Amino acid sequence: MSNSFIGRNPSILWFLLALSVFTIGVTLLSEATGTGLISTSFLKTLGKTLCLCLVAIAMDVVWGYCGILSLGHFAFFGIGGYAIGMWLMYARTEGIVTGSLSGSALPPTPQEVTDAIGTQIFGVVGSSEFPALWAFSHSLPLQLLAVVAVPGLLALVFGWLAFRSRVTGVYLSILTQAMTLALSLYFFQNDTGLRGNNGLSGLQNIPGLEAVPQATISLWFFWASAVALALGYILFAWVVSGKLGSVIRAIRDNEARVRFLGYHVESYKLFVFTLTAMVAGIAGALYYPQAGIINPAEIAPIASIYLAVWVAIGGRGRLYGAVIGAALVSLLSSWFTGGSAPPINLGFYVVKWTEWWLVLLGLSFVAVTLFFPKGIGGIFDYFERKRLPDRQGDYGPDKGALRQQEGVE
Amino acid sequence: MLRALLICIAILFSAPAAFSQTLQEVLQANSGAVSSPSRGTVDSLIEALSANPPPGVPEFLEQWRDRNVWMRESDGMFFYAVEQGDGLVLTDIDTGAEQTIDDDAGFDQLRPNAGVRRVVGSALVQFLLSDPDIGRREAALTSISRDPSADQLAPLRASIEDEPDTDILARKVQLERQLTAQFGDTAAERIEAIEYLSGDLSVEVRGVLSQILNARQGVAPELPQDTNVARILEPGEDMTIDEAYALLVDADLAPSTVSPGDIKTALTERIEDGQVNGIPVATLNTDAARIAAYQSLVDAGEAAPFITPEERAAAAAAHVFYVSYTEPNSDITAAAEEAERAIAVRLGVGQATDLTLDALSLASIYFLAAIGLAITFGVMGVINMAHGEFIMMGAYTGYVVQLFIPDYTLSIIVALPLAFAVTFGAGVAMERLVIRWLYHRPLETLLATFGISIALQQLAKNIFGTQARPLTSPDWLAGAWVLNDVVQISYIRIAIFVLALIFLALILFILKRTRLGLEVRAVTQNPGMAASMGINPDRINMLTFGLGSGIAGIAGVAIGLYAKVTSEMGSDYIVQSFMTVVVGGVGNVWGTLAGASLIGFTQKGIEWFNPSNTLAAQTFMILFVILFIQFRPKGIVALKGRAAGD
Repeated sequence: MSNSFIGRNPSILWFLLALSVFTIGVTLLSEATGTGLISTSFLKTLGKTLCLCLVAIAMDVVWGYCGILSLGHFAFFGIGGYAIGMWLMYARTEGIVTGSLSGSALPPTPQEVTDAIGTQIFGVVGSSEFPALWAFSHSLPLQLLAVVAVPGLLALVFGWLAFRSRVTGVYLSILTQAMTLALSLYFFQNDTGLRGNNGLSGLQNIPGLEAVPQATISLWFFWASAVALALGYILFAWVVSGKLGSVIRAIRDNEARVRFLGYHVESYKLFVFTLTAMVAGIAGALYYPQAGIINPAEIAPIASIYLAVWVAIGGRGRLYGAVIGAALVSLLSSWFTGGSAPPINLGFYVVKWTEWWLVLLGLSFVAVTLFFPKGIGGIFDYFERKRLPDRQGDYGPDKGALRQQEGVE
Repeated sequence: MLRALLICIAILFSAPAAFSQTLQEVLQANSGAVSSPSRGTVDSLIEALSANPPPGVPEFLEQWRDRNVWMRESDGMFFYAVEQGDGLVLTDIDTGAEQTIDDDAGFDQLRPNAGVRRVVGSALVQFLLSDPDIGRREAALTSISRDPSADQLAPLRASIEDEPDTDILARKVQLERQLTAQFGDTAAERIEAIEYLSGDLSVEVRGVLSQILNARQGVAPELPQDTNVARILEPGEDMTIDEAYALLVDADLAPSTVSPGDIKTALTERIEDGQVNGIPVATLNTDAARIAAYQSLVDAGEAAPFITPEERAAAAAAHVFYVSYTEPNSDITAAAEEAERAIAVRLGVGQATDLTLDALSLASIYFLAAIGLAITFGVMGVINMAHGEFIMMGAYTGYVVQLFIPDYTLSIIVALPLAFAVTFGAGVAMERLVIRWLYHRPLETLLATFGISIALQQLAKNIFGTQARPLTSPDWLAGAWVLNDVVQISYIRIAIFVLALIFLALILFILKRTRLGLEVRAVTQNPGMAASMGINPDRINMLTFGLGSGIAGIAGVAIGLYAKVTSEMGSDYIVQSFMTVVVGGVGNVWGTLAGASLIGFTQKGIEWFNPSNTLAAQTFMILFVILFIQFRPKGIVALKGRAAGD
């Protein structure tokens, strides 16, 4: 037992237990079951948080385990959202358009329906033509495929280019950030065909489910997010354990040494980068129907940096750390910026949290980096006596390496 | 001889007498021509007014033209008047004295007709063009250039001779040539004027030429004889057959084609009992079915037949498509085309120069934004995500200084060193408190400085608000250096360029020629060895970081002068700045210069292909940078040997 997959990763069982208790609890308290203690909008927030946890795990694997500080994973998240959003918008507009055209004297031709949908969707950017990007938007399976394929392909091409030319460390981070900036600028343009800065909206209305109340749909999405998170956790726990995981962590600690040992470092990095990008896409596809709207600001470089912030606060190099960080910081953020946090009266100045939350977040982030490099997840080490690996000196000269004080086996 | 002398004497004596005459008296002398003007009488009146003009003639002509002159019936006196309720506000023509009258009975409004008004208008132009007030002459010229017409030519020519001011004289000559080119009497005269204009780049001249070359598309069974044809269009080559056929339809030379909309209308009109000509409506949900149903209508003779592509091609082939000039004289259009070509060449050169200047100024902005980073990131290897916020701090320092020192020149002189001091302090504090603990963990530096960056940004928002704050440049930096209508560059951009050059020299001097620079380079290469040579690495790191941050602050003042100061201005530059340093080559100031030039010129170059879309230019520029890194991972100026480190 101790050598089985679960035995080597006891956190999986704990995590799944906590997640299922949480899911059952929320389900029982939701409006759909009649209790109504958790409002539908808060249920959506919780569902969205689970998606953020999923993308945070992906980020943790690529950064905390593989040592690639990618500032582009939230862009992959956004692309997933756009991919599913295109189908949601198309299908819903199709329903509306067919309804309004059925009143006309002649039954509409397919071309007329497409034209009407185009006018309906692209009217805001002064166009009515369907851009090539929307070629598959009528088909749910193809767009679902795009949710994983587009981020995966993008990560594959970008990663291949970057890793091949041995761009590492901070240069790689800057390069991924440049990629994210280019993507968001591209999405901001009206003639890209993704409605410019209007983005895609009305995504919470699922075509074909008009009769089902939002409370129920939200619950379904919540369950879907929970299942996706659970599967993602198991998948990544498997990736980072065993021999594959050892190589991945070795790359983080000393890339050159792994290369000299005969491993093809680029392939491993590419595998991790692409796989995490695909999972980020899935998380985005589950997130945006709950958010209801997606626009290019969501994929701006700063979003990806926030993702790194969550992972760092939660604790890099452990999957549950990423989950804790993402859930805690994003929920706290929405609590503070939502205006429900009580202001602090200092007598001469009233601290309003909507104004000061970012300052607090920024400074606490500095504090975590300086004083608690292990993040919140480090607390668990006090409960469980971890074997510190008995190695001499520093972990290695590589700039991206975790240093000894934060290294756990 | 004696007779001539007598005439001279007579004129000499009559001149003062004429001057003593007031406008009202002149008008009274020509009372009939004023009160009931016609084309026949107006010329003599204008002649009388312009022979020995009493003061106030232009104003009278203007008021007369605008129907603001009224006549008192009792004594025939003229007044300017404005209606007020039932009454009038009268203004005396000579003295300007006002009086209000309750009832306009007994006063007649004078209403010159359109022909008279046109004559008056051109006379007015002449008066304004020789007005003693230089401002009014300028205004008159501006109004002519804005709305040129044939009847302005004669008064303009007449006014050139007596023009005392050289600038206005040049302007008058220029305008005269433009008007002659358009409205000259003879073709030779016009061609001469066009040739005169052929080297001129101004928007006006280009407008005049395009006015002369105004062309429209035409179609006819045969090429008409009396038109000035620019070129003949060949359907299938210069235009598609469909476009050609559409022109034929527009010119009523061919029956119109049947569009899907027409089919739909025709079918909808003939729906009976859910059927069209025996075909159930429900089946008409594809284009093919609709066309078949329409064809059945055509067969039944109830709808216009389709026009096959062959028929369209035949119709197009049977006609001549051409572009003809509205100007009938082909010599004139040929001369204008020649002139336009000459201008196009010079315009191309001008635009290229302008683009180069633009690119240079963008490059110097990137350079200024990135030079501080070239020190902190390039030389020290510290990723400082808060660099953009230091730029913002510098800009806000400038703004605050301007709140206290209203004189813009002085405030800029104070703001530059103060911004350096503020950001130097902030940089040193940040280095002492945060960065020095993270020298071995560069990725963490990135995140910690990012935390500082969002905290600083929000802090600026809390203090200064979210709206943009102005940082006003002094007057001598306002305007632009205008070479001609195409090439111009604002002084502020020149100043930024100069500032960038100064910084380049300063940084090079500090790094290469001073003790501090030597120590900086030593600590960067090998801190342990430097320390054993008696250099204090802590102190050097602190100073270097402060220097880089301080330069960011000065760059902030410069950038704030030409863009608005907002709390987010730093984040607009941070990614570009990092790319500038990475592309240029880390650890080398020359590299940063090369990187900034490359990025600036590339971006402007891409913008040139697609000027309306700067977002696309930025996107492609970033893609270009990503690809560039593939081929030169170490940047343009790569360090070699030991200096390159790992």
